[in-house]
Amino acid sequence: MRAELRTRVLAAAAAEPSPTRATVRRRNMLIGMVAAASGLGAFVIFAMLMSDSHLLRLGGEVVPQQRLERPAWLVAATVGGALGVAVTAVWLALGRGRSMLGRSPRWLLYGGVLIPVSLLVWKVSCSLAFGDAMVAWPERPGERCLALSLLVAAGPLVSMMAIRRHAPVHPALNGAVIGFAAGACAWVAVDLWCPVAYVPHVLFGHVLPLFVLAGTGALFGRTLLSPRRR
Amino acid sequence: MERYARGDEAAFGELYDAIAPRLLGFLRRATRDAFVAEDLMQLTLLHMHRARGSFIPGAPVLPWAFAIARRLMTDHARRRRVEQRLFSEALPDDDRIAYEPAAPTAAADDVLHARRLEVRLQQRIDALPELQQTAYRLLQQEGLSLKSAAEALGTSVTAVKLRAHRAYVALRAALREAGEPS
Repeated sequence: MRAELRTRVLAAAAAEPSPTRATVRRRNMLIGMVAAASGLGAFVIFAMLMSDSHLLRLGGEVVPQQRLERPAWLVAATVGGALGVAVTAVWLALGRGRSMLGRSPRWLLYGGVLIPVSLLVWKVSCSLAFGDAMVAWPERPGERCLALSLLVAAGPLVSMMAIRRHAPVHPALNGAVIGFAAGACAWVAVDLWCPVAYVPHVLFGHVLPLFVLAGTGALFGRTLLSPRRR
Repeated sequence: MERYARGDEAAFGELYDAIAPRLLGFLRRATRDAFVAEDLMQLTLLHMHRARGSFIPGAPVLPWAFAIARRLMTDHARRRRVEQRLFSEALPDDDRIAYEPAAPTAAADDVLHARRLEVRLQQRIDALPELQQTAYRLLQQEGLSLKSAAEALGTSVTAVKLRAHRAYVALRAALREAGEPS
């Protein structure tokens, strides 16, 4: 081993300051707060523009002269379940277990399958107990829910990428799970806002954005999380 | 690494001494280019330096270092392929041994035979799919455990065993072709 090489590497490291663990912890907390604020801000602005500042909507007109109400317990159940899935998804996406290389691909694949499936199954099964919520709403195909999901999830997606920063193994898969986690966080807000549980609407407006975000996350992951010669 | 993550700047030198020789050996064997290997080793250590703040206490360092090195090596190979496609195709420098003059003594014959065999094995290793090649190198040349190699490759222990087994089979076949007992 050449001493000159050692000197060169140590000098290169000394010339480039890197944050210590305490700094990273503070930075991540700040990024987490910014992510929460951006998601909440996007949700409030969207609700102000689209539904007269109603963040929680307990019903609406299915068709003219036919109104549908969803009870508060149904909202509490669907939002509570979605919140549980979102917390688990964030833990899966940002936690790395006891290895610097993150979770095994098997865990990541389970996450990629289980996050959207569990959100959909929970929403539909809770709504089935209250049959009216499952009726078709022809005037609401789900494009506003799709837009809301993407708007709310954009901040958390970027923030989680900034927190994770580094995935030398399976960067695209890690990025995709981060996308699913950001989508799961947005699902909670969409669940508060949207009273529709009609399955085609849920698939288009609520589930599709999860996959759009996962795809975006995979692209980001491949380019941003993978160690590259810059 | 733990001390370095907490902010002890001097610990980077110790980290370098502990992992750089193994990393450099791995990169030299994989790239067969001393300058590229040194460059990639420097980059690997700089990546670890940048990520020190997110180091998990007690996490194994070597699989992490090898995983970064492997990713950088893949990135380097991809760039080189693109550059070669853009400019001219570099002439392969294989069969160098075939042009060497035959030695008159038996001992020199043995040396020549050993070198030919080494070249043939090296060619066979280079021809292996990248995943088999790296699994073989991490296990046989770097002496990593199956668990650490699996971690560095981001796969399961069973998959590493399978990849290494396929590499052994290919190398045994190369030895048989050369008339050596496998």
